[in-house]
Amino acid sequence: MRRGAIVALLLAALALAGVARGERVQRGNLIVSLDGRFAPLALPRDRTAPVSVQLRAGLETADRSVLPRVTQVELGIPGQGVITTRGLPTCSPRQLRNTTSARALEECRPALIGTGRMLAQVKVPHQPPFAVHARLLAFNGRIHGRRAVIVHGISLLPPTSVVLPFLIHLRPGRFGTVLVAHLPATLGPWPRFARFEMDLFRRYTYRNERFSYLSASCPLPKRVTAGFFSFAKATFTLQDGHRISTGIARSCRAR
Amino acid sequence: MPRPIAVTLSLLAAALFAAATAPAAEAPTRDEYVATLEKVCKPDALATQRAMKGARADIKAERFEAAAKKFARAASIFGGTVKQISAVPRPEADVDRLARWFTYLNRQESYLRKITEALRRDQPIKAQRLTARFIHNGNLANNVVLAFGFDWCSFKFSRYG
Repeated sequence: MRRGAIVALLLAALALAGVARGERVQRGNLIVSLDGRFAPLALPRDRTAPVSVQLRAGLETADRSVLPRVTQVELGIPGQGVITTRGLPTCSPRQLRNTTSARALEECRPALIGTGRMLAQVKVPHQPPFAVHARLLAFNGRIHGRRAVIVHGISLLPPTSVVLPFLIHLRPGRFGTVLVAHLPATLGPWPRFARFEMDLFRRYTYRNERFSYLSASCPLPKRVTAGFFSFAKATFTLQDGHRISTGIARSCRAR
Repeated sequence: MPRPIAVTLSLLAAALFAAATAPAAEAPTRDEYVATLEKVCKPDALATQRAMKGARADIKAERFEAAAKKFARAASIFGGTVKQISAVPRPEADVDRLARWFTYLNRQESYLRKITEALRRDQPIKAQRLTARFIHNGNLANNVVLAFGFDWCSFKFSRYG
């Protein structure tokens, strides 16, 4: 698959753009939206349990003009959400470059942690913009010793593929786990991230013990049955240096 | 008519004429309105964050009275902010939209006071239900004025503890 196709890539889209519902924030002409949920809603108070997480994010312009270029995407989740990769196989971006989804799964299925979809807007000079829909696969990975989520995106029309690593950073604050992806300049000026949807869930066995890629608890006092917490935050950095972000709160039930 | 009275009446008439013909204050543009409100909201939003710090930990540890004090302070700050910004002249084209927004804001203040009361009365489940409505109402408020691009004047759950 041609490298040029990668330019039209959706990975730029991973940055979190789109017409997702949920909470929305507008700055000037740009609207960012974020929605998401996790399952199960009922979680232990005093220990973590496996969860799946679905996130949907998007960028749109209020006047339907061409989307700005995104250079970095950050996705923050709370510190009480645990990412476990002990014993989980990894996949490298090199294994996924210029591959179809089928080939990517052949290479890295043991490292698969999620699936999703993406929509990008491609603006080629002297032509009206057109949409590119992509299927996404997310794999557990390591980049320079740091844990990462390696996202592989493939579109059939036009035929394009992209690989975008999200490095996992641990930071102080409410959103202690942050996935950061830099959209390289090699993607080119044309693709514009619009919408992104990803389901993350993986259970696996390592040394006869069951693990889950994502785990969480609902640490509430006994007398409280449900609580609210800041669930996710998406931040987009634009080519002009501006940043736009929004966060969402969700509730959990304690069991 | 005695001369002093005539002079006084003349001055009064002149003053009334001047007032009647003075140009009405122009309504602000949306951008001006947002800038004015954000100046009011920013220090109060930061004060709310400081006041609410640790509130979630208080609730988690069942220190409901301590959490109630924080919610009470937040409600007081919120009420003061709404009172200030509601007095700011509004852009003519946005009068109806802003009226809806202020309805939601008044409801937010009410929820904060009810949450405070529920925590004071050791009713955490009631406080929890009210919190759900508080968050939902805040998001509805944000949606009404999305195009205004508020930052400090918008509802953000993360500011509350």
